[in-house]
Amino acid sequence: MQLTAAGRPSALRSRLGAAACLLLAAGLPAAARADTPAPAPTWQFDTSGLLYGEAKRTAVLEPTARITRSFQNGQSLSGAFTVDAITGASPSGALPSGRVQTTTTPSGNVKTVQADQVPTSRFNDLRGATDLSWKVPFLRYFTATLGGHLSREKDYQSTGANGQLSVDVYHRLFTFTVGGGRNSDLVFPIHGTPVGMLDTLVMQDVARNGKHVTTRMVGLSHVMTRRWLAGVYASQTNEDGYLTEPYKVISLIDPATGYTNGQLTELRPNTRLRRDVMASSVYHFDRDVLYLSYRYYWDDWGVKSHTLDARWRKPLADGSWVQPHLRIYTQTAADFFRFGILQGDPLPPYATSDERLGPLHDVTIGATYGFHVEPWRGEWTIRGEFLEQWGDGHPASAVGAQRNINLFPPVGVGSLVVGYTVGY
Amino acid sequence: MRRAGLLPAIAVAVSVLLPATGRAHEAAPRPAPDFTLPSLQGSVSLDSLRGHPVLVDFWASWCGPCRKSFPWMNDLVKRYGPKGLEVVAIDLDKDRGLANAFLRELPPSFTIAFDPKGRTAEAYRVAAMPSTFLVGPSGNLIATHAGFDEKHAAELESRIQEALAK
Amino acid sequence: MNRKLRTFLLVLAAAVWAAATAGCAAMSVKPWDRDLMAQKSMTFRPVPHEIAVDEHIYFSKEGSLGGMTTDGGGCGCN
Repeated sequence: MQLTAAGRPSALRSRLGAAACLLLAAGLPAAARADTPAPAPTWQFDTSGLLYGEAKRTAVLEPTARITRSFQNGQSLSGAFTVDAITGASPSGALPSGRVQTTTTPSGNVKTVQADQVPTSRFNDLRGATDLSWKVPFLRYFTATLGGHLSREKDYQSTGANGQLSVDVYHRLFTFTVGGGRNSDLVFPIHGTPVGMLDTLVMQDVARNGKHVTTRMVGLSHVMTRRWLAGVYASQTNEDGYLTEPYKVISLIDPATGYTNGQLTELRPNTRLRRDVMASSVYHFDRDVLYLSYRYYWDDWGVKSHTLDARWRKPLADGSWVQPHLRIYTQTAADFFRFGILQGDPLPPYATSDERLGPLHDVTIGATYGFHVEPWRGEWTIRGEFLEQWGDGHPASAVGAQRNINLFPPVGVGSLVVGYTVGY
Repeated sequence: MRRAGLLPAIAVAVSVLLPATGRAHEAAPRPAPDFTLPSLQGSVSLDSLRGHPVLVDFWASWCGPCRKSFPWMNDLVKRYGPKGLEVVAIDLDKDRGLANAFLRELPPSFTIAFDPKGRTAEAYRVAAMPSTFLVGPSGNLIATHAGFDEKHAAELESRIQEALAK
Repeated sequence: MNRKLRTFLLVLAAAVWAAATAGCAAMSVKPWDRDLMAQKSMTFRPVPHEIAVDEHIYFSKEGSLGGMTTDGGGCGCN
């Protein structure tokens, strides 16, 4: 019998965490610059709904509403509210074992997992998040944006503030932007915070765990030709505090047979330094527009990744448009990522089996369709996307029964986003 | 290298590029470049308007601030047209259809000329959209302004009054 | 190369690139040639509400942080 705690898998906890708030400015409607071709509408409403599902795993429903008010002096105020309802099963980090696994939750429920299936734990949760931001143009060429964010769910809270300053220079052919943000998160797991790297659940004497995230970014965009807009961007993020996923585990493996034989709670370092650089391009072909970007990311946990993203926007005869999308991503594993730990081996200081920190690749294919519906004056968008993720599930370090199992089975994710934007 | 090195680098970059931002300026007295362009009424030439102060405005349908400048120019024509002010608004759209849609939305009471290749804009060294040039009765440039906002519109209006008083 | 030095050089390189290409003034885009740039679709992320959605999805499935985009383009008016 193995003990595992009930409660939310932390894939969610991180997901609902800091990063979202630091991207406030990115989610704002492009409005209220001194040079917009049509005057910014006084009121603008953007609503969207996300429906997301992973085969045999998670399902998410996430509606969002945003209101933006623009003023005569060029300033604008924008507020958004999001509700996130998530349910399903998430991998615990334990490996498929080659034989039937039985787990017991603290509440006494017994769960049986097939020999080659990835053990998961069930959960459901509801999260609310709100953000507010204020954009101020000044001195003709400058724009400042200030924002704040708050989100809350059963066992996680995040508050943050961010700011951005951009300036148009050289006949407005260049735009230079700097920005930063700081987030403070609190994690208060319902059943307590387990001590890491232990094979039994021993709770720490803490009611809650804190985490601080600081981000700095710099960007430069350039109108290269009449048709071509290009940009480069770099950012650095420092995370400090409790970065471990409290209920993720790492399997202990019998070196002779390769069967799993117990598990350890995972442990990650309490700091993380992340950097990325990105180059983007938008090119107008008289009717169609091509969007391309490449991003390189690296951090001090050993994760390095490449992202290539391409979209092609094609206007259609009746004023609607279609925009197919392809995204390719590949990542190296964190230094302390382990598929499992052999019993008898000395324990490393940190270890995780969280597949998000593993060696993985994913490809996304989708398309957005934008259209109007009489008599509504706003624009509708519908986007369907499919993401397939897989990793190297047959590592050289696999032993015994592990060799016959794909330790990183492919996962398929489908998402549907419906949006409506209208201005008055 | 200390983090302090980052801020001076940014400051240097911005200060080098910021002066070259094409602000409004007073033109040194020089003759306004002549032009003959097709217009809604046939054709218009600057020389034929000699003896009147002429407001030459460069605009396009995709230019947001132009939506504010058109009502302002209509108002100028109403108040100063009878006193001799001429207004010529030169359209720089590459697509005439877009210009027509703009003109249906904001009907002008002044002359509209078309310069889709931008040659006259080039001659006037237009630095931002929209740009307005006040040409005196003698054919010299009196004032120029890049962009449109209420404060500078008021300044231009007082220069028009001066020019009409002479 | 130490990280602070690398970041500093990246910013300096961007500034130098900007200054160098600014020098090609005669060849650069005229103010009346901003017609295409003025369109709403000429921005790095043309469907704004998809940005937050993508951030959630990829942040929950991958180990890296999303690349944000920067402002730019536009009709260049005023």
